[in-house]
Amino acid sequence: MKKTCKVADYFEGKKKDTSLIELEHVFVKRNGTLVLEDITFSLEAGMFLGIIGPNGAGKTTLLRVLLGLLEPTSGKVKVMGMTPKELKSELHHIGYMPQQVLFDASFPVSVLDVVLMGRACCIGLLNFATKEDRQAALESIRLVGLAGYENRPIGELSGGEQKRAFLARALCRETRILLLDEPTSGLDIPAQESFMELLAKLKEEFSLSVVFVSHDVNILARYADELVCVNRTMHLHGKPSEVLSSGRLKEAYRCEFDFLVGHPIPHERKDGA
Amino acid sequence: MLSYGFMQRALAGGLIIAAACSIVSFFVMVRRLAFVGMGISHAAFGGVSIGIAAGINPILAAALFCSLVSLGIGYVSRKGRLHEDTAIGIFFVAAMAMGIVLVRVANAYNIDLMSYLFGSILAMTWWDVLTLGIIALFSVAFLILFFKELLFFAFDEETAQASGMPVRFLNYTLLVTMAVLIVVSIKLLGIILVSGLLVIPAATGMQVFRNYRGVIAMSIATSLVSVALGLYISWKFDLASGAAIVLVMFGIFAISFIFSPRRGYLRGRTS
Repeated sequence: MKKTCKVADYFEGKKKDTSLIELEHVFVKRNGTLVLEDITFSLEAGMFLGIIGPNGAGKTTLLRVLLGLLEPTSGKVKVMGMTPKELKSELHHIGYMPQQVLFDASFPVSVLDVVLMGRACCIGLLNFATKEDRQAALESIRLVGLAGYENRPIGELSGGEQKRAFLARALCRETRILLLDEPTSGLDIPAQESFMELLAKLKEEFSLSVVFVSHDVNILARYADELVCVNRTMHLHGKPSEVLSSGRLKEAYRCEFDFLVGHPIPHERKDGA
Repeated sequence: MLSYGFMQRALAGGLIIAAACSIVSFFVMVRRLAFVGMGISHAAFGGVSIGIAAGINPILAAALFCSLVSLGIGYVSRKGRLHEDTAIGIFFVAAMAMGIVLVRVANAYNIDLMSYLFGSILAMTWWDVLTLGIIALFSVAFLILFFKELLFFAFDEETAQASGMPVRFLNYTLLVTMAVLIVVSIKLLGIILVSGLLVIPAATGMQVFRNYRGVIAMSIATSLVSVALGLYISWKFDLASGAAIVLVMFGIFAISFIFSPRRGYLRGRTS
């Protein structure tokens, strides 16, 4: 696997004092509204971090900050020891899966074409995909269990198969970190389970670090090494058992309802239903 | 028919422009830019009028004007709180209205506006053919060199941006390429019908193929056949070239739609 010096510096231990991801007092304002407030946490390489929080809590914004797509209003962000600006030339080490890919079902691309898109940043501007790039794409397709689907139009795949194809696209580069935004949303429970099993296997096999955003606490509690609970501000950071047993988790989720409605409303049903 | 100089020029220019437009047509379809094409082509009327009023080459004036309009549409719909179709609706009528006023102010009714509106094969000079060739070359070079980035951007803009693709550059350059190709095709198809060359070819390819390689190949074939056959019909029956070309293109689209393996009349009858 080809390594560029900045990333190699990080993974070969030349930047021993830095974590894989470091956020210090990060504030993000969008259209005059504070969407993230004083976010501080760090993550070591090889860990599976789950970012949980209710809808509209700023989880996707946090991922966009990590990717350098959104500049924080204030605070410090470092990924693999690099500032977002430095990271721009190293994005081929990050595999990203957005919450939703809104494409027309008749979009004329095959699974192989979609996975090859993941290599665009490795191939470089003004260059064309080589035989090696195709081989890498086919290998990623095989890894996610879609062998035999290479030439199928992407729009003909089921929701779960499409998610696997997008995971293959995120892997089809010199991936060190996977940033996944609600990758299991819209999937039924067996498809969710199978996606999570696959992810856990790939993480171990390739020593990947994973940042997984979801509003589904249950699914992350079983797979994540650490959880961060966000609802505009950071409520909790710790091992899943610590986070889940904390009363502040409820508090974080309750905030959303208060925020949306503007005044407190009852949250718990007393009838036990 | 090829013994006539004007037909040689029209056919040479037409085939060059057909090849270039058919590739852009693919991105017009997958990026859903058909209405942008309509807007830009109608705005060309404003550009042509500026050229006439200012005494400069109307096509050059229209190319510059339409490039600005396309960038304006792109900017307003990205930065403003307007949908793209609303931005197009605004720019397109404003540019046309300006064209009407300028034609009146310049007292330029004696200029053959009809040839700009409906296309005229008689209007094509060898200089035009050369200009078309150069512009088509640059356009096709851009589309080929940035094809993988454009495809990624068209399919999933967010991930393309997160992968470091220059999405802003791709978006604006694609719009300007469209604008310039539209303007240089005006002499052949006319302002009103020129956007057909950017919409129908790839739509035809989509009826038959499920992968972009087939879609683009079919798109190129549709454009080339339509221009050649349309020009022949236009010459034979003394019809406006733009209308003849668009009608042939529509005929090919209709046949492809009916016999499409993926949808259409026959499939409906057999399923």
